[in-house]
Amino acid sequence: MIYIDTGSCDVYYNFGCEHYFADKKTFDDTVFLFWRTSPTIMVGKYQNVAEEINIPYVKEHNINIVRRMSGGGTIYTDMGGWQFTFIDKNTENVIEFRRYISPVIDALASFGIKAEFNGRNDLCINGKKISGNAQYRLGNSIIHHGSLLFNTDIESMVNATTVDSYKIISKSIKSIRDRVANISEYTVDSKGQSIDIQPEDFKEAMVSSILSGAKRSEVYDITHEDDVCIKALADSKFNNWESIYGSNPRFNIERSARFEGGKIVFKLDVIHGKIESASVYGDFFSILDAADITAALKGCAYSREAVYDAFVRNGMKDAIYKISIEDIAEMIAD
Amino acid sequence: MEKKLLMPKLRPEMEKAVLCAWLKEVGDEIKSGEPVYEIETDKVVTQVESSYDGVLKSKLYEEGDTVDVLLPVALVEEKQEAV
Repeated sequence: MIYIDTGSCDVYYNFGCEHYFADKKTFDDTVFLFWRTSPTIMVGKYQNVAEEINIPYVKEHNINIVRRMSGGGTIYTDMGGWQFTFIDKNTENVIEFRRYISPVIDALASFGIKAEFNGRNDLCINGKKISGNAQYRLGNSIIHHGSLLFNTDIESMVNATTVDSYKIISKSIKSIRDRVANISEYTVDSKGQSIDIQPEDFKEAMVSSILSGAKRSEVYDITHEDDVCIKALADSKFNNWESIYGSNPRFNIERSARFEGGKIVFKLDVIHGKIESASVYGDFFSILDAADITAALKGCAYSREAVYDAFVRNGMKDAIYKISIEDIAEMIAD
Repeated sequence: MEKKLLMPKLRPEMEKAVLCAWLKEVGDEIKSGEPVYEIETDKVVTQVESSYDGVLKSKLYEEGDTVDVLLPVALVEEKQEAV
């Protein structure tokens, strides 16, 4: 096993590392990473950001958004939690989770923790989820990664993933809500006494336990050349609008609001993060036809700022009686 | 000759998967070993490759559809070897 310390809490860089060591610089032995992130929301590859994330909360709290290359649902990560990654050469098209999760279960046992598999490849303590796991394939590599809730801010997790129930129709993969817990609530010493462990000490013990379970282990240090390539991958594959919003599965959304000038309802068809078509209804008064209003939205990114800019560009300021374009942009997108 | 590309069974318990994305369009040439569509099951995203050289003739499902394992997902018109 080859352990690589990414030295970064930047989620985009860390996913860039996964990509790099799976596709660009590969090893014959299993590569193992153990990393954490500043507050981040990670959506699954085929999830819809609009359905999974409380965008106003996430913006207000400067929480990163990233789209994983693996499947499954949305998770929240922060400096109180850890992520682990195993990268293996794999040419067989067979799904295997246990070989990657078993070393993690064994390592947790060294803290007196009895973690168990649930039916969805998660790890639980007393029925509460402490680790979610997912996989993807890249070239001839299989990437298995998982989260470990150690001392994560559960309140922020709940707030960031609680979404208003607008009418959204899509075929995206939906998240499943689980009861969760932090591992730090369960750490005990050899006498069964509860002990307080710092996240950094937890990491050190987990890494050392997982490496000691391998037949042989070594450490690889990221070189300057690696670092340059990883940063480029982080930017091109993860930290950009196209990867986060442009990869949303197609969805239809209905948003409505009542203003002094009347009620207004928009129905939007959004493909790859952009408004493909729109219709508008209501009892408002406008100097424009409904078709002019909706034409302004065609091709526009589904975001509050982009909608506002599109209305300005199309000369719609003051076009609707007692409903401002700020009001409309705010009601259409978060 | 028309060939079928199936929804693979990637582990014994797998019964179905979501067809998440088409990586080829109808009419595109496909080489054996090239990925044609991407699927998600049990939180695993994987690409399904063609076993044939040919042309993608039809897509039998839309993105987002759930498909049972071993059902045909795409039809490929296999390229005939010159005799």
